[in-house]
Amino acid sequence: MITAQHIQHSFKIGKKGKERPVPVLKDLSFHVEKGAIVSIVGRSGSGKSTLLHILAGFLKPDSGTITVDGTVTSDFNETDSAAFRLDRFGFIFQNFQLMPGLTTFENIELPLKLKGISRTVRKAEVNELLQQVGLQEVRDHYPNELSGGQQQRVSIARALITNPPVIFADEPTGSLDSETEQEILALIRSLNRTRGITFVIITHDDEVAAIADTIYHMHDGVLAAGGVHHAG
Amino acid sequence: MQVKDQFDFVRQHIRKNKLRVFMTVLAATMGTAFLIILASVGFGIQDTLRKEILDNRLVTQVEVYAADLNAEKAEEMKKIDHVNAVVFRQNVGTWQKSELDGFTTYSQLTVSDFKEEAKAGFALAEGRLPKNAQEVVVGHDFAASLYDESAEQTEQATAESDEETSESEPQPAYREAVIGKTFTYELGNFNEEKSFGQPIQLTIVGIAKAPAKDFIQDSRIYADAAVIPELESIYAKGMPEDNEEPLFSANLNVYADKLENVKSVTQVLKKDGYDVYSISEELDQIDVFFLALKAGLIFVGTIAILISSIGIFNTMTMAVTERTREIGVMKALGAKPKLIQRLFLLESAWIGLLGTVIAVVLSYAISMLANFVLPMIVGAALGEDGFSDLDVTFSIIPWQLVLIASAISLAVAMISGWRPARKATQIDVIDALRQEL
Ligand SMILES: Nc1ncnc2c1ncn2[C@@H]1O[C@H](COP(=O)(O)OP(=O)(O)OP(=O)(O)O)[C@@H](O)[C@H]1O
Ligand SMILES: [Mg+2]
Repeated sequence: MITAQHIQHSFKIGKKGKERPVPVLKDLSFHVEKGAIVSIVGRSGSGKSTLLHILAGFLKPDSGTITVDGTVTSDFNETDSAAFRLDRFGFIFQNFQLMPGLTTFENIELPLKLKGISRTVRKAEVNELLQQVGLQEVRDHYPNELSGGQQQRVSIARALITNPPVIFADEPTGSLDSETEQEILALIRSLNRTRGITFVIITHDDEVAAIADTIYHMHDGVLAAGGVHHAG
Repeated sequence: MQVKDQFDFVRQHIRKNKLRVFMTVLAATMGTAFLIILASVGFGIQDTLRKEILDNRLVTQVEVYAADLNAEKAEEMKKIDHVNAVVFRQNVGTWQKSELDGFTTYSQLTVSDFKEEAKAGFALAEGRLPKNAQEVVVGHDFAASLYDESAEQTEQATAESDEETSESEPQPAYREAVIGKTFTYELGNFNEEKSFGQPIQLTIVGIAKAPAKDFIQDSRIYADAAVIPELESIYAKGMPEDNEEPLFSANLNVYADKLENVKSVTQVLKKDGYDVYSISEELDQIDVFFLALKAGLIFVGTIAILISSIGIFNTMTMAVTERTREIGVMKALGAKPKLIQRLFLLESAWIGLLGTVIAVVLSYAISMLANFVLPMIVGAALGEDGFSDLDVTFSIIPWQLVLIASAISLAVAMISGWRPARKATQIDVIDALRQEL
């Protein structure tokens, strides 16, 4: 599904003129199978988010290629990258990233709007999904009127609404208590099973990592399979 | 994204920042209204001047000048396209004097073709046209020009002792009807102001209608061409042998059928080598002057719009900065940069459009009010009757002005929204997502 080959990326830090490159990803290669749940763990600052940004097309790697479903995405320009994301990817963020001015319904509807889908079709699809993720009661609430767990459900619904083959999640439960975390994990697992969605999950949390088929450990700019597993 | 959804999106954002958008629209409105009102004064004055000119003259008249005007040339001119009439007048150019019942006038005798005169608007108030050399038609003000010469002289004597009252004292004018009356007409030497002593008798058979404008006086004596030989012989006998001055000086006016055709008639005449003067020349000059004036006014008005555009620029920059995170999320979800740009351009265009529409409505209201109120104020300042008969339009807003102002205002709104919109497309997704809520 997703293949990363020889990815190198470094950030330039320091004042202008005296910048020095800080390498974050050093010749990283890995592969994600279709329909798998993959989690990436590692120390803070090890480059997990950077890798996800590169996979999602938010950031261009200094070198190396990303291939998604046979399409080389690392060469895309901004417009193509956006179109590809809209079509294939869903995102779940640690701090939900909902639009404060939009209701639950409207937030979930947004990707369909971007796709140019008609109002009536949008309405039907969002209502159906609201049902599935148990958000009908709060469909007209604004994000600041929702609990953290509810907000994350909304953001998952937003990621799901376009039926993407891949969902990227960066610390999806990082802002939630453990009980709510369990709910969200259950939802992810069931979506993986029922819809065959591929998940790439970045986390600190071993419990979260444990739902993955494969756990990668980010260390020293590269990924190692079968990372630390302290579950239980 | 569907167009309707784009508009929805923009509307939602505007509703969230009502006050800020309102103030920006207000600034855009003021700038555009200022431009329209300013330029409308140019249009108003131009219109007033044009009306004034067109009102006071025969608009279809083309005056033709040449040293050797004659009846044949006048005949030729009748063949020019769009020529309605060619009035060839021969005016007595020497000293002349008429006496009727002891009253005197120095009115000029003019020989003309009454058929052509009639086509050019000459009409009789009473009586008929002359049929022979002894009959004449006189102008409407002929009777008023008659005065008692002896009374005038005594009056001038008294005037020396008391100048103030003399002016208001009525002249001893002729009060009877002149139609049917016969008067003596004599020619004389201009330099000596003396009659040749060969008076002829002329009978008034008709009185011309008053000229359309009451400040134009017509006290001429219109005679038929039949009178020419007799006058010429008196003149020849009276003047010294070596005189080369002709008795008559010619004056030729060509009348076009319509105002629009004055220009083409003028051009043909010019090509034929005549010096011409017509109202269209004057109007052309006025139009050129006012074109420059209006361009200047629009330029000044545009500066006001440019100032208001700073408001749009600020508002849009604020809007982009404020929504950085939201723009980042949109981009992360897959919104193309072009779409982001379009959404922000739509917003500034909407502000510009709203400002323009309100400005146009407002300008018409102000213009109407100005045309209603200003004449009253100026009238009151100048005294009632001084101004009441002046038909002044202070402000006119033609549709072209609305079009120009709207185009400028909208273009400026789009241009000032352009940079903020570009800035929105350049927002980095990762940076934006990192922003705290
Ligand atoms: N825009 C940037 N400019 C400079 N350095 C950056 C930039 N973004 C990230 N870095 C650096 O790259 C490294 C990797 O950051 P990254 O966010 O990928 O870490 P992470 O593994 O996601 O950490 P965490 O678990 O805390 O989220 C860090 O050392 C960070 O300081
Ligand atoms: Mg991270």
